[in-house]
Parts: sequence; structure tokens; C-alpha cells
Amino acid sequence: MSLVILENIKKDYITGEISTPALKGISLSIEPGKFISFIGPSGSGKTTLLNLLGGLDRPTSGKVTVAGTEISALDRRASAKFRGENIGFIFQNFNLIPVLSVYENVEFPLLMVQELPPAERRLRVTEMLEKVGMSDQAHKYPGQISGGQKQRVAVARALAARPKLVLADEPTANLDHATAYKVIGLMHAMKKELDTTFIFATHDQKVVGEAEQIYTIEDGLLSAGVK
Amino acid sequence: MNNIIKIAWRNLLRYTRRTLLTSSLIALGVALVIVFGGVGNSFRGGVIEIITNSNLGHLQVHKKGYIGSMDNLPLDLSIGEKGLEGLRKVLDSSPEVLSYSERIRFGAMISNFASTTNMRLTAVHPEKESATCPDLPGRIKEGESDPAAFVKPGAIVLPQNIASGLGFKLGDEVVLVANNKDGSVNGLSFRLSGISENIMGPQGKDGYIHLEDARTLLRIEGEEVTEVAVKLKDFDRLTGATSSIKKELADLAGAGQKPGAEAASGAQPGRGAKAGLEVHTWEELSPFASIAKMVALLIIVVRLVLVFIVLVSVLNVMMMSVYERVGEIGTMASIGTPPNKILALFLTEGLSLGFFSGVIGSAAGAGILLLLKALEIPFTFGSMDLVLSPSVPVGEIALALLVVIVISALASLQPALKASRMEPVDALRHV
Repeated sequence: MSLVILENIKKDYITGEISTPALKGISLSIEPGKFISFIGPSGSGKTTLLNLLGGLDRPTSGKVTVAGTEISALDRRASAKFRGENIGFIFQNFNLIPVLSVYENVEFPLLMVQELPPAERRLRVTEMLEKVGMSDQAHKYPGQISGGQKQRVAVARALAARPKLVLADEPTANLDHATAYKVIGLMHAMKKELDTTFIFATHDQKVVGEAEQIYTIEDGLLSAGVK
Repeated sequence: MNNIIKIAWRNLLRYTRRTLLTSSLIALGVALVIVFGGVGNSFRGGVIEIITNSNLGHLQVHKKGYIGSMDNLPLDLSIGEKGLEGLRKVLDSSPEVLSYSERIRFGAMISNFASTTNMRLTAVHPEKESATCPDLPGRIKEGESDPAAFVKPGAIVLPQNIASGLGFKLGDEVVLVANNKDGSVNGLSFRLSGISENIMGPQGKDGYIHLEDARTLLRIEGEEVTEVAVKLKDFDRLTGATSSIKKELADLAGAGQKPGAEAASGAQPGRGAKAGLEVHTWEELSPFASIAKMVALLIIVVRLVLVFIVLVSVLNVMMMSVYERVGEIGTMASIGTPPNKILALFLTEGLSLGFFSGVIGSAAGAGILLLLKALEIPFTFGSMDLVLSPSVPVGEIALALLVVIVISALASLQPALKASRMEPVDALRHV
């Protein structure tokens, strides 16, 4: 059974009286446990597609179904709940909460979204920090760690809630070459270990090289890539 | 909830300078309200105590219509023997009344044989007057001031202005000439036994003679009086006690009007036979009541200023906070944080800022009041010497804190709602 099903997705951005089509009818199915990359030039609609997949935005027309739920039909509250339980996000700018320590950042979705009991939270956070190699930095704040370390924390945060799907928008764009490879390797390892589906929107050839399937988006239309 | 509070506090401390500045402003406002309230109430309470304990009493009973023509000190609007008997019965049986003093107030000419002037006099039984107005003997700065006998038969206590104006010294002979209620004139000699300081308000510059001497001078037969001053056991029960005394007196007048209404109401034949007695509180008798109301109004104005300070400060901080953290709000929303928790986070931040500042301000305000109390700063109001001795107003502190908390919540609500209603995709674009 497909984890993600997109049915003739269209998305128009309206500014005043001008309507700009970002996605012009995309249909796609993605199986669980895949490592998938959307590539394309800037403004091609990659981030828009990722936002629709994550329930952060609604399509102008068409249906987005993730893990059997039509997320494009959910209201704000239900959509937030669904994201908290099923989807993890990794951002280009890491987007860690600056007033929370590394440990607390990873714990945040378990505490504020999933409301897990303390013992289970501690177990999951400790486990995830170990997996991303950040256990010794757990007490530090985002302002005290490097970009690569921040992205590892962001990966741990995205995976701590055990989502079925992780959406990563340009996750290596702000990282140097070596660090980017480490983070990609980490995500790959996590995918294998936790059987989580990763979908990237990226320009980065390093990420593209690791993908099991690549889709190219150009002018709001999708075409299958080389893999 | 603990985590929301923790995150709220950390966000407040994240912008330390801004938080401290805002917090100081709110704390200053709260301290100002508490100090102003404490000092204002101390001043108000002090003056009321002097006025009521020196001459007015907590309330007064007169023949109906007396207060309307009080400037003339009419002797024909007096409480007759039967009326006084009924009034005594009511006051003696009231659990609220501590003491009462029967008085005859009248105007007279005073002479030192060389010069003559007008003055007002209050005739009293000294022991009853001292029990009702315990500060009165203390106002006698020269001469006899024994509470039980500060004015004996044949003696007179003069206020400073009259005594100095006519050049009287203790022991001098003083002549009083007065009209009785029928209009005939009579004169009597007195010996000056005391000189009292003046205070503001009605009766503040009255002289005092013994009640029996007044009856002789005014040729009053029987126990007729023009007013009865009453001291209550508990001043805070003024409204309730006044109502209950009024009701008792009305009942008495009602009962008396069937067979002998005139007698029970103290009315004189031919002068409104159905007229009863009327009760007035000190507030209705003293012009200081208007000043006291003004002080209360000023306290309310200062409270309103506090409301605006808190409203503007918290609103400003929270709006800035939301604006600066749009990306963060987007992150929280995207990872599934429900809108109500985002709302709670920002509300808690504003409330924490207000509460923390309120507590600091309350402590500072209470500290300043305690210091003022310890310093016992003397000051003069009119001709009254007062000592600033404010107590820490627990009610005022609780009210100020409540106002700060409620206004902080209201001021945080709009920014918090804005944060919770942000579309995650728009908020993330703000990064």
C-alpha cells in the first residue's frame, strides 16, 4: 500500500488579481521506506510540493493522501495532530528552538505534540541523540553548536516522534561538503534502521546521489528522474 | 503546563534588556499605585479620625430640618424631652453604639467688657462628650483638659482664634450674651478654663460650656438638646449602623404618632407635629468628605494609569515577541504543535511578565510604605497636625496584582491569537 498518493495536484498562488500556477497537476504514489528526491531549478515548485505533502499548505485542487489520510481535507487542528504523529520535518535553516537545549529540542514534539510520559520521552530522546552522535552535546543550546551539529539535532527531532514520513527541504544547503555527507549518511542510516520514508527537495548532487528515486519538477510538472 | 511556563520564562530572559525595561516600568506603576493608595488612605483615615474623634462623632441625630438651617444654629428645631427619651432608648439598646453625647449648639456674643464678637458654642456633659469625641480634651492646649471635667459648670473653653482675638488668658472672666428660642436676650459670666486648638470643619472653632449652663443662659426648661453625636463601636460599620438607627427611629416615630406623635418625635406644638428625627453621618456633615472622595478618585485615576502602563508595555513586548519569532512559530506549528499550545505559550509569556513585575512592584510599594511608617513623617493639613503612618494595604496590593494579571492577559491575547492562527507555511517563509 502506498504511503503517499498525490492525485492531480494543482497549486496556484494568487497575488491581487494575478494567479501564478506553481504546480500544474501532479499525480504520484510513493511506497513506504523509500529515499526519494525532488530536484529542479529554483521556483520550480519543489518546496510547494513538500509543503503540500506535509499538510502545511492546501492544494488549489486535487487530493493529498498520506498514510491513508486525506490530509488536504483536514482542518488546522487535525492537520497539526496528523503532522505531529506521522510527519517529521528537516529544514534548510535547521529551525531549532533557540531557548531549548539540544535535548529539549529533540524532546519538544514528544512533549508538546505527542504528550508521551516522561520515562518514554527520556528513552527516545537519549536513543535518538546517541544515533545522531549528539549525546555529549545534549545540554548545549543551538547557539553553542555548529551548523552540522544543528542539522543532526534536527534529524533527531524529526525522527524522535517516529514518523512514517520525513520531509527535508534542502537539508544540506547550509552545510559544508564533509558535514553534508555525514548528515546524508545519517539520514540514510536512519531510513534503514527505522524504515522511515525520506523525501527531499534539493539541488544538492550529494543528496541526489543517495536517492533511490529521483523526480524532476520543472514549471510545476513532474517527471521521473534517472533512478 | 510546567514546560509552557519554562519556555515562556526562557523566552522572556532571551531578550533580557527588553524584559527588564518593561518589567521595571510595570513594577514602578504597581509600586506607585500601592504607595499612593497607602499614603492617600493614611491621610484620609487620619483626617477622618481627627474630625470624628474631635467634634463630629461618627454620626449625629437632629430634629428634622435642623441640618438645612444649621448655619443659623436654630434653637427652635431642638429635640424635646420625649423625643430625647425615645432616642436614648434606641441608642442605649443598639449594639453598634459605643457612646453618645447630647449637645446644645448656639450662637452668642462674647465680651471681655471692652470688645465683643460673635461665636458658636457647643454645650456638653464633659464625660459624655469625651467618651464620644475622645480627642477633644487633647485639643485643649492650655488649661483644664481632664476628659471627665474639661468644662465644669461656670467654666468656658474658647478656641484659640477667639481667645487671642479678644486677648483672653486662662482664669479671665468671659461674658456670653445669647438669644433664646423665643428671641429674648440673656447674659451670663464664665471663667475661662481652657483654650483649644482649631481644627477644620463644622464645630472646629466652637467654644465649649457645660450643658446645664447653656440651659440657664438660654432659659431652657427640661432636657431639650439640639443634637446628639454618636460614636460607634466599629467605624467600618457606619453605613449598616446608620441604617439600623434610622429604622429604629422611624419605628419609634411611627409608634408615637398614633396617640402622641408630637411627643415621640420631639416636635414642638405648632411646628410640624409629624416631624421626626434625622440621622446624618460625618460624611454628610463635614466638607472634608468631598476631599476624601477626591482622594479616592485620585487613587482610581492612578490605578487607570497603571492599567494603561501595563496594557501598552505588555502589548508592545508581546507584539514584538511574536513578530521576531514568526519563523519559530512556523517551526512549532509544522512539527505538529496544536494552535492552543502556541496560544498558551504566548499568553503565559505575557502573564509571567505581568505577574513577575507585579510581585516586584508590590514588594517595592509595600517596602516604601513600611519605610514611611517607620519614619513617621509629620505634616499639617489645614490647622490639623497629622503623622503620615500608612499601613500596607493588603487589599490594594491584591487588587493591583489582579489588575496587572488581567490586563497582561488581555494585552497578550491579541499577539498570542495572531501567533496561534498563523499558517505554518507562511510563518516558515518568514525565516
